[in-house]
Amino acid sequence: MSETRPLAASGRRWPRDVIGLAAIALAGGAGYVLFPDSLAFLTRIISIALLVLSLDLLIGYCGIATLGQSALYGAGAYAAGIAAVNGLTDPVALIAVGALAGGVAGLLMGAVLLRAHGLPQLVLSIAFVQLFHEMANKAASITGGSDGLYGIAPGPLFGLFAFDLYGKTAFFAGLGLLLLVFAALSFVVRSPFGMTCRGIKEDPLRIRAMGIGVRPTLIKMFALSGAVAGMGGALGAIATQVVGLDSVSFELSANALVMLVLGGFGSLYGALIGTVIFLGVEHEVSAINPFHWMTLVGVMLIAVVLFAPRGLYGVMTDAVARWRGRP
Amino acid sequence: MISRRVLCAAFGLAMLGAGAAAAETVRVGIIGPFSGPFALQGKNFQAGIEAYRALNGKSVGGNEVEIIYRDLPTANPQQARAIAQELVVKDKVQYLGGVYFTPDALAITPILTQANVPLVIFNAATSAIMEQSPLVVRTSFTLWQTVTPLGKAAIERGIRKVITVVSDYGPGVDAENAFKKAFPAAGGTVVESIRMPMQTNDFSPILQRVKDSGADAVFAFLPSGPPTLGFVKAYNDNGLKAAGIKFLASGDLTQESDLPALGDGALGLVTSYHYAVSHDSPENKIFVEAARKAIGNPAELSFPAIGAYDGMFVISKMIEATGGKQDAAKAVEAVKGLAWISPRGPVSIDPKTRHVTQTIYLREVAKDASGQYINKEIESFPGQTDPGLVK
Repeated sequence: MSETRPLAASGRRWPRDVIGLAAIALAGGAGYVLFPDSLAFLTRIISIALLVLSLDLLIGYCGIATLGQSALYGAGAYAAGIAAVNGLTDPVALIAVGALAGGVAGLLMGAVLLRAHGLPQLVLSIAFVQLFHEMANKAASITGGSDGLYGIAPGPLFGLFAFDLYGKTAFFAGLGLLLLVFAALSFVVRSPFGMTCRGIKEDPLRIRAMGIGVRPTLIKMFALSGAVAGMGGALGAIATQVVGLDSVSFELSANALVMLVLGGFGSLYGALIGTVIFLGVEHEVSAINPFHWMTLVGVMLIAVVLFAPRGLYGVMTDAVARWRGRP
Repeated sequence: MISRRVLCAAFGLAMLGAGAAAAETVRVGIIGPFSGPFALQGKNFQAGIEAYRALNGKSVGGNEVEIIYRDLPTANPQQARAIAQELVVKDKVQYLGGVYFTPDALAITPILTQANVPLVIFNAATSAIMEQSPLVVRTSFTLWQTVTPLGKAAIERGIRKVITVVSDYGPGVDAENAFKKAFPAAGGTVVESIRMPMQTNDFSPILQRVKDSGADAVFAFLPSGPPTLGFVKAYNDNGLKAAGIKFLASGDLTQESDLPALGDGALGLVTSYHYAVSHDSPENKIFVEAARKAIGNPAELSFPAIGAYDGMFVISKMIEATGGKQDAAKAVEAVKGLAWISPRGPVSIDPKTRHVTQTIYLREVAKDASGQYINKEIESFPGQTDPGLVK
């Protein structure tokens, strides 16, 4: 992305941000109107979208190689779940617990991962998520182990809206959370801090020469990324009322990466688009043919990687640029 | 005259039937692993359901029954919830069935009451699921149920000291706990308990510990598939079989679809389970024939198919009791205490726990007349409830 776009923020971006947020809200509203019977699925998309956004912060904006992002998502999910089982029922507080746990896990992960670069970093990240997975499996008395953590009964949102079968409350709570997080992240990635991160991705030596600490900056981003992933996990825990070991699995990390590449990394919109397309296609195709759908999804992924290496969002921005008469 | 009266009655009955048929198409949502690493288990769900429909027809009491399959490849509660919700709200299913993994079942139970839909579990085998909703009925088994009789059976075979070796995850721990309760109660001693990490591939050091422990037998539980193959092979290679250390396990380890791969190494393994494809009864002959036709490859038929077959029977009884109308509480009430002869033997639904009460068989892997590997039943323990649910 950064090859085609100047690093510095160009002019005031407020109108564009507002349009972007309105588009997300509109897409959410359209989802609600078009698929009123699949709100639990739409909520799952939002929950995973937060994970993919958090992954984009590290991969797309900082150039950190990680396949362990679900450790942060799972930390949030389990923290919120355990808090709920032990009597904390306010959904907003549970999301906060998830964010906090994810943030702390992010700090830890950053401290470990930043010791290495490239492939060793990737291996460390896998080890990290495996470690979390095994911890959640071993501590069965607290986490439920492979049976899953159950008995999560969130109270009504703001004391008014109960979580029910149709999943309206969970969906709107999720959409609201996503809009808030997205607005905050849009701001962060263009702030001096976000710019520094992008600079580190391009040329860490130069950033260091400018007198900016690379590690402290990246660690901050890890904490932020962890908090976002943790909120996604907490949302999943509240909406599903069960937390399983799959939420701290290597598979989930890998899938999140696939979604990010599909949408296009280095842009927050790409993360969202990738998640929606990947999960949407998987959901629809597997409902039509529950026995052989994986083949179809595989073919689609290969096609995207071959013909749109910059992801679907990259294809879209290119098309817009061409339409405006600019190369 | 008589013939006219009969005709009238027949006409009336036909009208009744037609009325009911016009009234309802009953949809049943089946959730199972139909793709991915556990696709074989999902395929067995499908085979059991199709065998039931081939033998008993596709309608119940004049109500057409429609099956909607949804794929859930691995344990993923979030996805399970999303799929179940969609089946209920969008596809308007009156019944949910299937479910292979425990976390998935636990994610579905919270919505049942509001959805007014019963869930008939064909597999997911953790005892605690039944306590999460009064609308859950289970036709599979629990490890507590299949392992408990093994304690007494081991004593009868002169085994006094046993070492337990299980994979370190929910079902493994369940199996260990069940054995550690049943075996000492029958008069034996568990000398040591080993929990192996799930990813263990090299079993030699563990089997060396088994050898050194001085036990007469090893009780093992691993997830079926490659780990089991590796473990059984290591049991033979390390000379445990030659040293006379017996092998006890739950039947998951010797499911029929794994037997050809286990080969001669599995001969003589003693397991306890609720169903063997080779079970000798007229009901089972009919079932196996229909299920093998449904699954395509006869060698792939194994235990999830029987859970699905009996699950469909239970769902049919529910549809009968409610006349095709949606009434989950009435449907579940109707099958409490229901007893019938299943292909696996006599079974019933325990009215208190809604879990299936059944005969558990002690089996030994052997070769039948045609050279196929089978689980040969050598002893039966009838009327077993789930000890894991008894408080």
